Amino acid sequence: MPPQPVAAVQPLPDPQQLHLSNGAAVVQIDLPQAPVVCIDFWCRAGSARESSSESGIAHFLEHMVFKGSARLAAGEFDYRVEALGGNSNAATGFDDVHYHVLMPPEASDDALELLLDLVLEPRLDAADFELERQVVLEELAQSEDQPEEVAFQELLHQACGSHAYGLPILGEREALEAHRPDAMALFHRRHYRPERCCLAIAGPVGTRTDALRERLERSRLGQLQPGGEPETTPTPLDLQAGSARLELPRLEAARLLMVWQLPGAADQRTVLGGDLLTTLLAEGRRSRLVERLREELRLVESIDLDLNVLESGCLVLLEAVCEAEQLEAVEREVGRVLLELQERPAAAAEVERARRLVGNGYRFSLEVAGSVAAMVGNSHLWQRRHGLQAPLDWLQQWDADSLQRELVPLLAPERAFSLRAVPA
Amino acid sequence: MTTSLAAAPLVEAGRWDLHCPLWLLHRPGAPILSAKLWMRGGSSADPEGQRGAAQLLAGVLSRGCGPYSGDALADLVEGCGAGLRCEAAEDATLISLKCASDDAATLLPLLLQMVSSPWLVDDQIDLERQLNLQTLQRQREDPFQVAHDQLREQLYGAGPYGHDPLGVEAELRLIARGALQDRAQALGQGGAVLVLAGQIPDGVEALLLQGLEGRPWAPCAPQRRPGPSGTATASLATSCDETEQLVLMLGTTTTALGAEQALALRLLHAHLGIGMSSRLFVALREEHGLAYDVGVHHPARLGDAPFVMHLSSSADRAAEACRELLNEWQRLLEQPLSRAELELTLAKFRGQEALGRQTSSQLADRQALVLGHGLAMDFADRSLAAAAQLTPADLHAAARQLLGRPSLSLCGPATALAAAEREWQRHPLAS
Repeated sequence: MPPQPVAAVQPLPDPQQLHLSNGAAVVQIDLPQAPVVCIDFWCRAGSARESSSESGIAHFLEHMVFKGSARLAAGEFDYRVEALGGNSNAATGFDDVHYHVLMPPEASDDALELLLDLVLEPRLDAADFELERQVVLEELAQSEDQPEEVAFQELLHQACGSHAYGLPILGEREALEAHRPDAMALFHRRHYRPERCCLAIAGPVGTRTDALRERLERSRLGQLQPGGEPETTPTPLDLQAGSARLELPRLEAARLLMVWQLPGAADQRTVLGGDLLTTLLAEGRRSRLVERLREELRLVESIDLDLNVLESGCLVLLEAVCEAEQLEAVEREVGRVLLELQERPAAAAEVERARRLVGNGYRFSLEVAGSVAAMVGNSHLWQRRHGLQAPLDWLQQWDADSLQRELVPLLAPERAFSLRAVPA
Repeated sequence: MTTSLAAAPLVEAGRWDLHCPLWLLHRPGAPILSAKLWMRGGSSADPEGQRGAAQLLAGVLSRGCGPYSGDALADLVEGCGAGLRCEAAEDATLISLKCASDDAATLLPLLLQMVSSPWLVDDQIDLERQLNLQTLQRQREDPFQVAHDQLREQLYGAGPYGHDPLGVEAELRLIARGALQDRAQALGQGGAVLVLAGQIPDGVEALLLQGLEGRPWAPCAPQRRPGPSGTATASLATSCDETEQLVLMLGTTTTALGAEQALALRLLHAHLGIGMSSRLFVALREEHGLAYDVGVHHPARLGDAPFVMHLSSSADRAAEACRELLNEWQRLLEQPLSRAELELTLAKFRGQEALGRQTSSQLADRQALVLGHGLAMDFADRSLAAAAQLTPADLHAAARQLLGRPSLSLCGPATALAAAEREWQRHPLAS
């Protein structure tokens, strides 16, 4: 029996779930020690929902939401939230978008009304639209000035092709310049539907939900009309293996970028296994890739392996930073390390080390109300509806043999797309 | 001694057989422990010809100490699923430990082991040096970093704050083991403080002292002493790069955390750069659509801290971006905040405080910094109270006294540099 991770010491609280009469999901979790409340509104309206002419509109809409609603003038939301001591932000991903506010507990009721008003009835004023288009174009330009970001975008484009994961969330410049407010309003109406939304609240909020339910039934969220286009399952990803070389101006150090596909986020047990395996390989000085490539052979400045949890298929992304003349050796050694794991399972102690790192990292993240709200919000948005303890239980289900049998083959070098980016 | 602070965890200063203050912030909730050992003497204490020594030493401290080789130390820490880092910033070298409370007894002795008996193996020094050199090279990819490095040179020249903590390449290549050994022996002598937050085990002092294994380590308590200074003369520096955007950084050197008018500057920082209702966000992004990323950089320092406004804007809008940025700075000098603006600023300042108290690491980090600066444990609460008494006139006086002569650093394509330079030359701030 392997030692229990720290998470087993104390049971984690379970979120309370509500469903409003129109089908909108609400999840609340009481964190009595937290000094702030996080209110996090999630919607399945990421860039993967865009048609080809809508490139970048999901993210552009996220910007426009903050330009005011039917009842809130541009900037009024920010002013009122921040005048109450809170702050807000938003993020658009491939699969979903979320808008969150962090507030002192005594002001969280006010923030809830303001946020729902803002997100669900955006004003999309034509003059504001033109101005915000400039901001989005500046964001795109800023990203284009980071050669590393350009390289990652190229990697995803080549590996994922025309799937949404191969296209930029920020959008194509030409499409951004052509967008109009009415098309954005249509996108909003199509996707910001109660059955595609989840509101998550985490903080010192107590365990009663009666009053919350009543308030929300009367709120913008409760009044939202269900319907629209029928829900579709995410388009399956079929990552293409291969390799490419890219010369980039202003790149100072070469990069080896590689990407593999794992099953989608619905398979949470495998997600935790993927987390465990990538940690075993590249988290910490004694992880396999860091030890071999950075510490022993001294081929790289850094090597990272990250699991990106996505609905159509998770992506494992590797980045090695090195001198251009070392690229070949770096790729060869990465391949060797992966093949060694295929041939012989990791030692039990090695798996245990990774399990402790993943388990503790997860536990540490639960100190922050924003992380907790994001975790339960995303989980309920995609109808997984698991509690906070579940990831730690899934983590316990993996051992060296099951990792070798089920997951290591998925990270075989021949299943990856690899991109060598070199200074032009 | 036991003290109770409003809205803060219980604080105990235990008996301690070293001359380094120990503060314990007991925190109910998750079984997590965070420890921060703050030692004065970061990159600003790098000797002439050895710029980069503090960071190089910091990196090597976790590559073997006491009975542990670098590998054995990594096995121990990573085997517990913990994080143990040592980094040098401008004013201090900081060792940070974060672990499950159950592992505290195993890991806490490492803190003093690292400072009292580092191995400093040549081979590991070479590796750490190579990594730092590569990082310095890679940083040049980022036009923000280029503009930032350039502004640092404008503001601090060859002074203690004038280089990246990672060092200067030519000097970093030559730092010898002996120099690191000297620096290691001096760790803590300029002042050190240890702060633990979270669920803290019983007998923590004994656990910490185990790490010394009878060896001497004689730090002293941090004192309130002035830190490095900067220059405050207006200058322009440009760096030509084939980017889409022009990066603009406008800044000057100001004053130390806790100094007179430092609180007014922190409020000006909140007013200008914190949140989407902040002045720069609204004026430059929301009203002019000039940038995605705008903000203020004003870190806490022992010496003359930089106060920098920054943004990046498309090359074809360089003139407008530069003009508006300069005008925003000028506005600070000419126009006091309105009462409503000050109220909003105070609300943000209070909100930031609450957000900075969410995790054990945040609490330990902040308290270590405050105590390391020789300030009182309740400095944050006192600052909140004092901020409420400041008036728009106080903030205006601080701006006029400390922000009068900013320098401009630009990085971008040649045409954009020329357009921005013309705006600078004709602006009152340049004269």
